[in-house]
Amino acid sequence: MASTLTRAAEPRPAARGRLGRASWIQRRDRRGVWFVVPFLVGLLLFMLVPLGYAIYTSLYTYRIIGGTTFTGAANYTETLQNGLFWSGVIRVTIFAAIQIPVMLTIAFFFAAVFDLGLAKFGRTYRTIFFIPFAVPAVVGAVMWSFLLEPQFGPFTRLANGLGFSGTNFFSPDLLLPSIIVIVIWEWTGYNMMILYTALKSVPREVIEAAILDDTPWWKIILRIKLPLVRPAIVMLIFLNTIGALQLFTEPQILEYFEQGAVSLNYTPSYYIYNTAIAADETNLAAAMAVILAVFIVLVSALSLIVRRRRREFG
Amino acid sequence: MTTGELTRRERARRDRIAEQDREIPVELYGLRRGTVTLLTVLAFLFAIFTLIPIAWIIINSTKTQANIFETFGFWFARPFEFFHTFSLLFQNVDGYGTFIQWFGNTALYAALGGGGATALSALAGYGLARFRFRGARLAFFVIIAGLLVPITALTIPLYLTYAKAHLINSIWGMVLPSMISPISVYLMRTYIELSVPHELLDAARIDGAGEWRIFYRVALPLMVPGLLTVLLINVVAVWNNYFLPLLIFNINTKYPLTVGLGLWSDRAVNSGDADLYPMLVMGGLVTIIPLIILFLVLQRYWRGGMLLGSIAN
Repeated sequence: MASTLTRAAEPRPAARGRLGRASWIQRRDRRGVWFVVPFLVGLLLFMLVPLGYAIYTSLYTYRIIGGTTFTGAANYTETLQNGLFWSGVIRVTIFAAIQIPVMLTIAFFFAAVFDLGLAKFGRTYRTIFFIPFAVPAVVGAVMWSFLLEPQFGPFTRLANGLGFSGTNFFSPDLLLPSIIVIVIWEWTGYNMMILYTALKSVPREVIEAAILDDTPWWKIILRIKLPLVRPAIVMLIFLNTIGALQLFTEPQILEYFEQGAVSLNYTPSYYIYNTAIAADETNLAAAMAVILAVFIVLVSALSLIVRRRRREFG
Repeated sequence: MTTGELTRRERARRDRIAEQDREIPVELYGLRRGTVTLLTVLAFLFAIFTLIPIAWIIINSTKTQANIFETFGFWFARPFEFFHTFSLLFQNVDGYGTFIQWFGNTALYAALGGGGATALSALAGYGLARFRFRGARLAFFVIIAGLLVPITALTIPLYLTYAKAHLINSIWGMVLPSMISPISVYLMRTYIELSVPHELLDAARIDGAGEWRIFYRVALPLMVPGLLTVLLINVVAVWNNYFLPLLIFNINTKYPLTVGLGLWSDRAVNSGDADLYPMLVMGGLVTIIPLIILFLVLQRYWRGGMLLGSIAN
């Protein structure tokens, strides 16, 4: 192996002079394209073509009389003027505004406590907290639907027993908080693990210096650790926002359990699904999907720009 | 003694000791008495919250439908129906579909989709990391742009395209898009840049090896930890995918677990069949057990750089 490496330092084609070496490298590099082609073909067929076709479809309208006709931006103006679409957008925004701060606070708190070793059995708790990440959202939603079920669910009984009689977790007032609890259950462990990994990379010397200055533990967490992992938190805010905008599985399963609890337009994704499948208005659904995709791409692009400015992303 | 000869238990012990060495002893923080206890209790309470649904599903997988609803949710009740309900997972009850077939479908989609995604991103990541061909920058730009498009926003367009191309109910409609994972290409490219040296590849070229042979024999063995990471991410993504199969399959013999269980929760409410709720509970349990075991076994890969890498998504 050692002899191979020394030879590599002096590639044989170099002996042919600068030109020979350059063309050798060029020929070598040209062959690399064949490694990338299979993926690019897949990307073209299963990402670019469908997106292009959705945009194309969104420009047409189907009517029972007259068939499919080109209507330009009509589906877009209809969607943007549709109060049902916007109420879903507002609902996922409220959802994100509550769920993300609560979850990240819990996740950061435990990540910091485990990182400093301030709780016993930290290793075991870390593993337990991470378990929901392995549970598909469908199964998570099914389990929580059983627990929150309005007549027999253990949590409903508990609420009744505590004096809140007539509690219905699927009622219009409590549905969104219920979904927030489910999503917090699903994702806190994953976010905690990311923050824990980020906290581990804070240099030990910084903490040692703080201890020598008699800084209390909570000040070490809030004044030293928190600012140093702020980039990771910013990124998690963006990631979770993108996830929240696509909220679909949990409301859909809850609607299966308690029919009529979740409105057709509860979230934008759910509304698009119902427009495409139940109402069979595929052209309109295509326009909605394009609007949602553009919106999410804008949020993602913003996160890339923020992170690139902080030099965190290649 | 080399690492290869250490048993798993010994390696785990060594890792634990190494981790303890790195940590600053708790006593140095000048904690008041009771602070550690208080923080441990808080962690315990959140662990209870995390485990409640898991405990519920294990306990209730042993119950009849009536007992699921009428008895205390966190304790067992007679009759013990676990094996009866489990056997129902192998039957097509009321023509709604057979659980074990959905399990097989999910395993097939996850293996083909996850394996394919790993292979394609390993090839593309290698090409982008180690060759400077014309258009390489453009290709990378396209892949980064693809990373921005979320799968949910892509699902309706895929459905519309399949409806046009007669790909509804085709397993390839599920498997092939699962193979296209821009984030995996990005992860593999980063991993290869750090772990596969240029010099080694050039040395193999001078020895007269062809490019495919070099990839297969020289580069691939060095990429194994990265490949495992990407494989795990993609297998889990396909295993948990719900929206795409919900749209593109409308016959229950093609369903994966997620769509089948969703269908059961819909039917259980309406049909009045006395076995559907217990089957839904049992089905949920059998769905999550393999993944939880997989995660506990592969925990060490999930820790380290893996999560930090996958957050780029």
